[in-house]
Amino acid sequence: MPVEIPKIAYSGKVKEVTLGKGGKTVTVGGETSYPFYLFEGAMTNKPKIAMEVWDCPPEDWAAAALEPFAGVTGDPVAWAKKCINDYGAEMIALELISTDPNGLNRPAAEAAAVVKKVSDAIDVPLIVWGTANHEKDTEVLRLVAELCQDKRLILGPVEEGDHKRIGAASLAYHHTVIASTPIDINLAKQLNILLGNLGVPDDLLVMDPTVSGIGYGIEYCYSVMERMRMAGLTQQDEKLQFPIICNISKETWKTKEAKSPTGEVPELGEARKRGILLEAMSSVALLMAGADVLIMRHPEAIKLVREMIADLTAS
Amino acid sequence: MILIGESINIMSKTLGPALRERNPKPIQEMALAEVKAGVDYLDLNIGPARRAGDELMKWVVETVQAVTDMPLSLDTTNPVAMEAGLKVCKSRALINSVSLQPDRLQAGLPLAKNYNADMIGLLWGAEGMPRDANERCMLAVELVYQANDMGIPTENIWIDPIASPISVEINQVKSCVEFMSMLAEVAPGCKSTVGLSNISNGTPTHLRPYLNRTYLIMLMRYGLHSAIVDAFDAELNAIARGKMPEVVKLVHRVMDGEQIDIKSLSKKEAEYVKTARVLTGETLYSHSWLEI
Repeated sequence: MPVEIPKIAYSGKVKEVTLGKGGKTVTVGGETSYPFYLFEGAMTNKPKIAMEVWDCPPEDWAAAALEPFAGVTGDPVAWAKKCINDYGAEMIALELISTDPNGLNRPAAEAAAVVKKVSDAIDVPLIVWGTANHEKDTEVLRLVAELCQDKRLILGPVEEGDHKRIGAASLAYHHTVIASTPIDINLAKQLNILLGNLGVPDDLLVMDPTVSGIGYGIEYCYSVMERMRMAGLTQQDEKLQFPIICNISKETWKTKEAKSPTGEVPELGEARKRGILLEAMSSVALLMAGADVLIMRHPEAIKLVREMIADLTAS
Repeated sequence: MILIGESINIMSKTLGPALRERNPKPIQEMALAEVKAGVDYLDLNIGPARRAGDELMKWVVETVQAVTDMPLSLDTTNPVAMEAGLKVCKSRALINSVSLQPDRLQAGLPLAKNYNADMIGLLWGAEGMPRDANERCMLAVELVYQANDMGIPTENIWIDPIASPISVEINQVKSCVEFMSMLAEVAPGCKSTVGLSNISNGTPTHLRPYLNRTYLIMLMRYGLHSAIVDAFDAELNAIARGKMPEVVKLVHRVMDGEQIDIKSLSKKEAEYVKTARVLTGETLYSHSWLEI
C-alpha cells in the first residue's frame, strides 16, 4: 500500500516587507509554508541577519564577543562599517544602550545625532533599537525619525504603551515599525491591530515577539512564534502575517553561561566556543520557529547560522 | 439552568471590607439585588479564610439568611469554615468546592455526606489543572467514584470542568467545551457548573459580557446544569432562561464550522458570531476582536 505523506493546507502567506532604502534594501517575509518546509511551499526570501552595534563602548561583554570588534567599539560608525566590510553584514542593528535612563541616560538629541551619522555612513538597512523605556524611547525615537527622515529606518521596540507617538512619527517620516510584545500571541495580534488603526501600512511593519536564549525560556518563545505562523499561514489571520524579528544576541551573551571565563567554570568548556555556540544554536532554534530577521553579534556564530540557512534552503 | 450569583466575594472592593468588618448592610443589599436580578443561588465566597474562617462563614450565612431564603453556595477552601456554614444553612447547601487534591477530597466528601449537601466537584487534580478534555474525563470519573464510595449519590455532584481565560490559552477554552460534550457519557447522572466569568478574565472590562454570554451558549449546548455568573447581566440571564433562541442558533452554527457572512447580520448578531469565532479558536483572540 502506498504511503500518503500528510500535507498541510496553507491558506495564508507572510507579508513581504522591504527594509531600508536605496541600493541595498533587504526584503523579508513572503513565506507560503512553515519555516524551511520547502516541500510544501516557498520561502521566497531567506531569513536575514542584522549585526549588532552599540552606541557606546560595551563594558561587560565576554572577551570572545569583544575580540572581533577590537578597536572599533568606541565608534559606532567604524563598528558598523567593520561589520559590513569585514563580516559581510546585510543589515546593522544599532542599540541605543547609552539612552537608558537607568544607565548613561544620554540626551535624545545626542543619541539621534549618532544614529544620523551611522545611517549616513552605511548603505545597508539600519535597525534602531531603544531601551524599552516608553518615555525615553518616545523622545529618542521620535527625534531619530525626524532627523533621519526618508531613510526608511526600522524603529523599535514599539510597544502598546508608546505605539501611538512612535508609530505616528514613523508614519510621518516614512520608517518601518517593530511591533514588540511580551511573548504573548494575543497581545501581538492586538498591537498589530492598533498600529494598523493608527495608519501604519502592512509593508512597514515587522513584529518582535520578545525572545530569550537557550536555558532562559526559549521554548516558550518558540511556541509563541510557532503559533503566530500557524495563525497566519493556516487560519488566514491577517494580523499575524508579518515578518518576525528576533533580537537574540543580547539575550544569549548576557548569560553567565556565555560570559564566564573558562577558568571560572571549566566544567562548561571553553568560554569562546560556548558563547558562540549558545548564540548560534539559539538563533537556529528561532529560525525553525519562524524568524525572518535575527539580530546577532559574533561573526562566527553568524557564519554558522548562514551555513545552516544555506543548507536548509538548498534545492 | 441554575444561575448562581457571584457578587458576594471577599475579593470585591466594597464587599471584601464589609465581610472583614462584619458590616451586614452592604452584604444584605447585594444579596437582595442579586435575588431581584433573578438568580437561583447566592455564592458566598470568603476565600481561603485562614484566620477565623469558621466564624466568618457562619456570620455571612446568617447575615444573608436574615433577608432572603435563597439557597446558598458556600465558597471556601477552608473545611472548618465550610462546616461552620453548613451547620447554620437553613436550606440545602451547595459546597463550593471539593477537588481531587487529597486533603481537599478527604475533608470535603464527609461534609457533603454528613450535611446532605450538594457539592461542586472541581476538576483540579493532585497534579493541578487538567491539560485537556481526556484528563478532565479521568478526573470526573475518579471524583464521582470517590464520592459514591463515601455514599454520596451522583446526582448531588456538580462537576466543574474549569473555564479558563481566553487571553491565556485557547486550547483550555476548547477542552472545557469538549469535556462538557462528553460528561453525560463518562459520568451519567452527574450535574455540572462552571465559574463562567473566568473565561473573560484579563479582557477589557466593558467587553467581558460578550465572552461570558457566548461561552454560556456554547456550554449550554452540551447540557450545562448551572453556572456561577454575574447576576446583573440581564442578557446573560435571558440566554440562560431560553429567551434568545435566535442568537443561540447562530452560535451553534459557528460551532458547527459554518461560514457565516458577517455583513448579512445585525450588529448584535455579528458580535455573537465574532465572539463565537474566538471562543472556538477559529480566530485568534485579541482585545479588538469585535472590531475586525
